[in-house]
Amino acid sequence: MSEQLVNAKSQNEYAMSSPPSGFQVIIREFKKDKLAMFSLVGLFVTLLAIFIVAMFIDQDQLMKVSPRDKFAEPGEKFFLGADQGGRSISGQVILGARNSITIAFFVTLITGFIGIAVGLITGYFGGWIDNIFMRIIDFFITIPSLMIIIVLVTMIPKYTVTEFIFIMSTFLWVGTARLVRSKSLTESRRDYVNASKTMGTRDATIIFKEIMPNLSSILIVEMTLNFAGNVGLETGLSYLGFGLPPSVPSLGTLVSYANNPLILEEKWWVWLPASLLILLLMLAINYVGQAIRRSADAKQRLG
Amino acid sequence: MSKKLWTMLVLLIALMLVLGACTDNDDSSGPADLTKFPLVVDNEGEAIEGGTLKVALGTDTPFQGIFSWVLYEDSYDADIMGYASNVIFETDGEFLVNDKGIASLEVDQANNKAIVKIREGIKWSDGQALKIEDLIQPYLIIGHPDYEGVRYDGDFQNIIGAADYHNGKADTISGLKKVDATTLEISFTKLSPAIFSIGDGLWGYAEPSHIMKDIPVGKLLESDAVRKTPVTLGAFKFDKIVPGESIQFVRNEHYWKGAAKLDGVILKVVPTSSIAKAIETGKYDMTAGSLPATTYPEVRDFENITILAQPELSYSYLGFKLGKYDTATGISTMDPQAKMADVKLRQAMGYALDIEQVNEVYYYDLRSRANSLIPPVFESYYDETLEGYTYNVDKANEILDEAGYVDTDGDDLRETPEGDKLEIKMASMAGDPIAEEMATFYMQNWADVGLNVVLSTGRLIEFNSYYDKVQSDDPEIDIFMAAWGTGTNPSPAGLYGKESAFNFSRYTTPKLDELIAAIDSKEAFDIDYRANAFHEWQLYMEKNAPVIPTQFRTAIYTINDRVKHYDVNLETDFDLNQIELTAEEPIK
Repeated sequence: MSEQLVNAKSQNEYAMSSPPSGFQVIIREFKKDKLAMFSLVGLFVTLLAIFIVAMFIDQDQLMKVSPRDKFAEPGEKFFLGADQGGRSISGQVILGARNSITIAFFVTLITGFIGIAVGLITGYFGGWIDNIFMRIIDFFITIPSLMIIIVLVTMIPKYTVTEFIFIMSTFLWVGTARLVRSKSLTESRRDYVNASKTMGTRDATIIFKEIMPNLSSILIVEMTLNFAGNVGLETGLSYLGFGLPPSVPSLGTLVSYANNPLILEEKWWVWLPASLLILLLMLAINYVGQAIRRSADAKQRLG
Repeated sequence: MSKKLWTMLVLLIALMLVLGACTDNDDSSGPADLTKFPLVVDNEGEAIEGGTLKVALGTDTPFQGIFSWVLYEDSYDADIMGYASNVIFETDGEFLVNDKGIASLEVDQANNKAIVKIREGIKWSDGQALKIEDLIQPYLIIGHPDYEGVRYDGDFQNIIGAADYHNGKADTISGLKKVDATTLEISFTKLSPAIFSIGDGLWGYAEPSHIMKDIPVGKLLESDAVRKTPVTLGAFKFDKIVPGESIQFVRNEHYWKGAAKLDGVILKVVPTSSIAKAIETGKYDMTAGSLPATTYPEVRDFENITILAQPELSYSYLGFKLGKYDTATGISTMDPQAKMADVKLRQAMGYALDIEQVNEVYYYDLRSRANSLIPPVFESYYDETLEGYTYNVDKANEILDEAGYVDTDGDDLRETPEGDKLEIKMASMAGDPIAEEMATFYMQNWADVGLNVVLSTGRLIEFNSYYDKVQSDDPEIDIFMAAWGTGTNPSPAGLYGKESAFNFSRYTTPKLDELIAAIDSKEAFDIDYRANAFHEWQLYMEKNAPVIPTQFRTAIYTINDRVKHYDVNLETDFDLNQIELTAEEPIK
C-alpha cells in the first residue's frame, strides 16, 4: 500500500515537472550552453557599465576639437588615445556604444510592436485585409530600403537620434510583420481559436491573449536577432557616412576612420576599440538569440 | 565547437594587436621647414623611349569634366586641362606677358589698343592651322547672350562693342579686328596696367573656331567638343575620357614646341584618404595640381619621391553674405537687413578664429595666417604692414560687447542688439580629410565668444554643389569658408567688383568702386601709383571686412624618382613636352 502511495507520489512529481514552463526551458537551455550563458552575463555587465558611465560623460565637452591633442597615443591623458580632432577615444566608444544600442533598442521595439501587431491582425482575419497588407509589405520589400534611408538622411537638414530612429523604423517593420503573419495564419486556423470564436470572445482578446503567447518564443527570438541586426545597421550607416552626424559620437564613425591608410597602420587606437566592441556585442547577442531559438524547438534543445 | 571558436577569436584579436604594434614609429614631427624645399628636381638615370606618365587627381568627388577654358568652373578641370592647354601667352616670374608664347602682346596706350600677333605654322591637335578667328572665338562665346559661364564681367565689358554684342544689338564685337592672318587688334574703353598680366578683358586662350562656330553657345556646356573630344594646342591631347574618373592623354604631334618625349599621360581620380598611400607604393608619378597640405605628414618620409614647394597664387578666406547678385543685370546689391550687415560682428568673428593653431597642427605651417587679400607672391603689391586679423579672444569679446551683442537670457549665447536670437549659418566644404574637424573647431572658437554658429543644411556641403549654392545666394548661408586662386592678375575687379559674379559676399559701395577703379586706371601705369592704390584698397577691405582672409598657402608637389627633370618655378621655360622618364614604371 505504501509502495502504491510512493508510486503515485513519484508519478505526480513526474507529472508536475514536465512539460516545464516556457521560461524555465530557456533558463535550462542557457545553463547547458556555457557560451550563451557567458555571452548573456557579459552582455548585461557591459551594457550596464556603458549606460552608467555614459551618464557621467558630457557629450559637448567630449566632442570639442582640440587640435594640439591630435592623434594622442593611449597614455595618461587619454585612456585609449585621441582621434584626429583630439577627442578622447574611450569617451567616444562609450557614448557611441550607448547611442548605437539605444537606437537599435528603440528601433527593435518600434518595429517589433508594429510588425507583431500587423502580422497578428492580418494573419487572424485573413481575406481581403490580409491581401491589402501583404501587397503593402511586398511593396516595402521591393524598395531598396537602404538606399532610401540614405537619401532621406541626406535630405533632412537637422537630424538627431530621434529622426534617425523614425527613419529606420519606417522600413524595417516589414520583416517582422511577414514572419509573424505566416505563423499567425497557421495558429489562427487551430481548434482552440475556433472554439474561442464560438464562445463569442472578442477578436482582440483572442489575438493578444491566446495566439500571441503561443508565438512568444518565436517573437522573442525574432526581436533578439533583430536587435543584433539593428546595431549592425546603425554602425554600418554611420561607417558609410549616412548615419549619425559627425558631431555625435558613434562606433561606425570611429571605424570609418580606418579608411585612411595612415590611421589604419599607425593610429590603430582610433578604430580598433570600436571594431572590437562591435564584434563582441554582435557575437554575444547572436549567441543569446540562438540559445533562445534552440530552446523554442524541442528537437534542438541541448538541455 | 566552442573551443575551436574561442581559439579562433583569441588568435584574431592577437593578430590585430600585433599588426597595430609592428609599425615603424617615426617621430619626425614638427612643422615643415619651407626653405628646405627645392623648386626643381633632377634625377639620375638613362631616359627611356616614350613612356607614360601616371598622374593622380586627388579629389573625393568625380570631376565635372568641362574641358573648355571659357566654361570651366573648378580647379580640378583646370588641372586636367593643364596637360592639353590652349594658352596663347607665356608669362615671366612677375606674371607679365613675354614673347616666348604662341602669341605676343603689344600695347598701344595712347589709343587704348592691344595688338596680338601669333606665330606662323601653329596647328591644333586635329591638324587644323591656328588662325586669328580662333583667338576671336572665345570672346564671341563669353559675350554671347546665351553664355552660361561666369566670365562675362566688368573686365570683359571693357572691350568696345562687347555690351552691344551681349544685348543682341550687334552680331559681332566691333572692338575685335582681324588685321591680317596673324594679327588681331583689340580696342578697349580704357587700359590699365593689368593688360600686361592678361587682364582688362584680354583673354589668354584660343578656342578652335572651326568646331565651335557651328555649336550654339547655349548648348556648348553639354557638347562633345567640350566634354568628350576637345581639340587643343597643348603638349598632349585628349584620347580617352571616362567621365568623372580618368583621362588618357596621348602625345600631340602638332605641338608647336616639338612633339613630347612621352607617349602619353594617364590621369586618374584618387580619393584624398588614399592618395598618400598610392604615391608611396609607386602607383603614380605625381599629382595633378598640388598635394593637399594635410597629407604632408604622410608623404614627407617617402623615399621614392622628391618634394617641391611653391607659394601659391591663392588664399583661403571667410566670406559673409551681405547682399544679392542679380543674374539678369549682372550687378550686386547690398541688403542692409542682412544678418551679417554689422561690420563689428564680422570683425569680432575674425578675431575669434584660432587659425594659427590649425595652421600649426593640421598644416605643419605649410599655411600661414593671412593679413591681406593679395598673396605675398605679388611682391610689388602685397602690403606686409597690414595688421590683419589675428587670434585675439579678448578683442573679439570687447568688440561684441561694444556693438551691443550681449547675452540677455543667460544661455551663454549672445543676442542681437535688438534682442533677437542670433543663429549664424555657416557653409563649409567637404573634401579634405580634416574638413569636419576644422569646421567643428571654428564653430567652437565662435561659441567661446558667445556666437551660435551652425552648419547650413546640418552638414558639410559637397564640393561640386558648394560653390553653386554660394553663388546663387542661397538663403541658408550667412557665412562661408572658401578659397580661390587669384590668377596672374592681382587686380580685384574680377573678384570684388560690383559686376562680378565671383564677388560672393555681394559687398559693394561707391567708395569701393572708386578704389578698384584707381588700381586699373590710366595713372596706375606708374608702378608707385598702382602700389599705393593697392595699399588703399587692402586697408579698406580690412576695415570693412566683407571677407576676411584666413590663410596663405604653399603648394607641395611630390615627384617620383623616375621623372628625370621637373621644375615648378614660374620663371623658367620648363614645358610638359620635356618630361622624360628613367624607368618603365614609377619607382616604389
